[in-house]
Amino acid sequence: MRSPAAAIAWQFRQRHRWGFLALIAYLFVLAMIKLVILERGQRVDFDDVETFAWVVIVPLTSTFLYFLGLFTFGLSGDIASRQSIYPARMFSLPVTSAALAGWPMLYGSAAMAMLWFGTRLLALWPSDVDVPVLWPALLGASLLAWTQALTWMPYPLRGLRVIITVLWLATIDAVVMVALKSKAPETVMLAILAPHVPLAYLVARSAVARARRGDVPDWRLGQISRPIRRDQFRSPARAQLWFEWQQYGRSLPWLVAILLPFELALLFAFRQTPELIWETLVFVLLTPPSMAIFVAATVSYGVTPFIATRPLTNASLIAAKLKATMWSTLVAWMLVLVAIPLALRFSGTALVVMERVHQLVEVFGTPRAIALLLLGLAALMASTWKQLVQSLYIGMSGREWVVKASVFVALSFLAVVLPLTVWISRSRYAMAVLWNNFALIAAVLVCFKLSAAVWVAMRLYDKQLLSDRTLVIGAACWAAIVFALYGLLVWTFPALLFRHYLLALVAILAVPLARLSAAPLALEWNRHR
Amino acid sequence: MPSESVVTVSELTRRFGATTALASVTLSMARGAVYGLVGANGAGKTTLIKHILGLLRAESGSVRVFGRDPVADPVGVLSRIGYLSEENDLPGWMRMDELIRYSRAFYPAWDDAYADELRQAFALDPTAKIKNLSRGQKARAGLLVALAHRPELLVLDEPSSGLDPIVRRDILGAVIRTIAHEGRTVLFSSHLLEEVEQVADHVTMIDHGTIVLSAPLSEIKESHRVDGRVPSLDEIFVSRVGKA
Repeated sequence: MRSPAAAIAWQFRQRHRWGFLALIAYLFVLAMIKLVILERGQRVDFDDVETFAWVVIVPLTSTFLYFLGLFTFGLSGDIASRQSIYPARMFSLPVTSAALAGWPMLYGSAAMAMLWFGTRLLALWPSDVDVPVLWPALLGASLLAWTQALTWMPYPLRGLRVIITVLWLATIDAVVMVALKSKAPETVMLAILAPHVPLAYLVARSAVARARRGDVPDWRLGQISRPIRRDQFRSPARAQLWFEWQQYGRSLPWLVAILLPFELALLFAFRQTPELIWETLVFVLLTPPSMAIFVAATVSYGVTPFIATRPLTNASLIAAKLKATMWSTLVAWMLVLVAIPLALRFSGTALVVMERVHQLVEVFGTPRAIALLLLGLAALMASTWKQLVQSLYIGMSGREWVVKASVFVALSFLAVVLPLTVWISRSRYAMAVLWNNFALIAAVLVCFKLSAAVWVAMRLYDKQLLSDRTLVIGAACWAAIVFALYGLLVWTFPALLFRHYLLALVAILAVPLARLSAAPLALEWNRHR
Repeated sequence: MPSESVVTVSELTRRFGATTALASVTLSMARGAVYGLVGANGAGKTTLIKHILGLLRAESGSVRVFGRDPVADPVGVLSRIGYLSEENDLPGWMRMDELIRYSRAFYPAWDDAYADELRQAFALDPTAKIKNLSRGQKARAGLLVALAHRPELLVLDEPSSGLDPIVRRDILGAVIRTIAHEGRTVLFSSHLLEEVEQVADHVTMIDHGTIVLSAPLSEIKESHRVDGRVPSLDEIFVSRVGKA
């Protein structure tokens, strides 16, 4: 390595080589598609916005966000902390603060510019769109530079970094949007954006210098002194449950509690529009399961040597995690179930909801309507818990390559499934074929799930990770839940709509089994390497 | 001294890719003695300790602690071991009183009075968060958790790296001696040979995954006597391993 600049560049390249390779592969595919189409001399007309969004906008936005995380060092730092997220290990390098701030900013800006120019040149753009040349590249570089400057700054309060960064980026976005609405030409856009990178650099240099000398302002009020705890846990399992709850369990309720007021405030704004009231409620009800997807990454985080050396079995460690996630789900939903009636009552929108409930009762009858509502609620709660625990086996493996491979597989799966779903939903023939073969597809999935579960059960038995009694009780509980769900589905949905064997297959697929049971196996693989 | 074996390692071999971390290691540790495990960085000390704790599975050979397989029976083995690691990854979000409350749930033999005595001796504030403690204080907190249940086997993996000289000499030495006098066993890994020389009854030298010397300290010194002068452990190590 001949210079600090080259060393910093190597660090980014080496750590994120797979990300860069994926980007190059994507641009190559875009280029190939474009070549084929241009070769035929066809005019490019996207028949809908969604196709263009999936092919160009979603990858472009995802890469932009990835670059934000990468070049701010935010992928490996605590974004909410008071301290700068600039890696402290780099502060002891024999280089100036200007270099520490400047080189990552320069590389980030160059990457953003290349991302734009690559996409502009190689992607298929609708023929009737006048694609801008320079300013989007400058906008990307400006947003990245400000994100770097603001995230590298030490702050007096925890979480302040996120608020200030989001507000400032939103302000820049708003200015750009106003300029675009006013049909500002490219030169004006460039003039608006040009000063941002140099200004952000000056702020970043100052931020790195302050962080380097340990200058972290503190506006915190005196810590509330809690009494010293001398009471005892009744068992090691209780202690571990407390540990899991303290460390991970509170995240989901906190997230939901932060988001709910903003979401429910929409009820006050849309009180005259019933359709928007319903959409808002659906949005609120989907908050816990969707937030659970993000929280799951922390719950599944592997075991530290401290935890690995606690005298607990692997099954007990997993059981504590499962119980903590159950509490997490219950508390999050309790918040939702208390907040919604209050918001409906005070926003004066309760009547709209009651009208719809009465319509439901008229169509299905009171018992079935209640069962449907409870089933929906139970499904949402179960889905929240499922999101929290279904990838536990991946995180518990403690292998970075397993985690990365699973993310790659999931993204590849989505890349295939989402466009396929859009296509199927628009093709009557495809929908008919799918519906006619739904039972067969469900049966294949059930066979796959049960085979995997049997394999996991045999491994658990062989390795004696769970006692025979626990295995039998676990299987019996799973079967009982499946039967209960099946019974409820049969009672709720008339046989004319859905055949009973179809409902049985749905019930089997809905209740988690194989992936959940694999968690102790994964932990055993990790804990005793 | 009772000769009942607390740790028995037989023909233990462990490879990480092309690197052989342990090569046919055989070791037996009797109850009531202080064992010093010495070797250069990367010699295999931590790998051997991880096998004893059940954090690594024996690829070939066997490891028995209190006559049990630490991988098959983690509860039976770990509940009788106190462990302080070089990494000392205590959860930073816990307060000192919470760490004590959490830890004692796992050990039926936890001694509250002794824990309190150690906390005061180590000058640890019960309301302080672990993440706000200095490196030395964190090491003391880890030592408290490792000691307060009066473990039958105390495993200290390079504990000195976080402690200042006063703590090393007065507290660590005294703690290790007390434990040994109570008939319990200590496995003390370090590359600071002077420190090991002060407290160990038995020294095992490891180099490139192989045990090059394992004997009582007095025997080692006697057998390396040159012209009536007893060499230091440091000199013996250099003569055996060829480097300091």
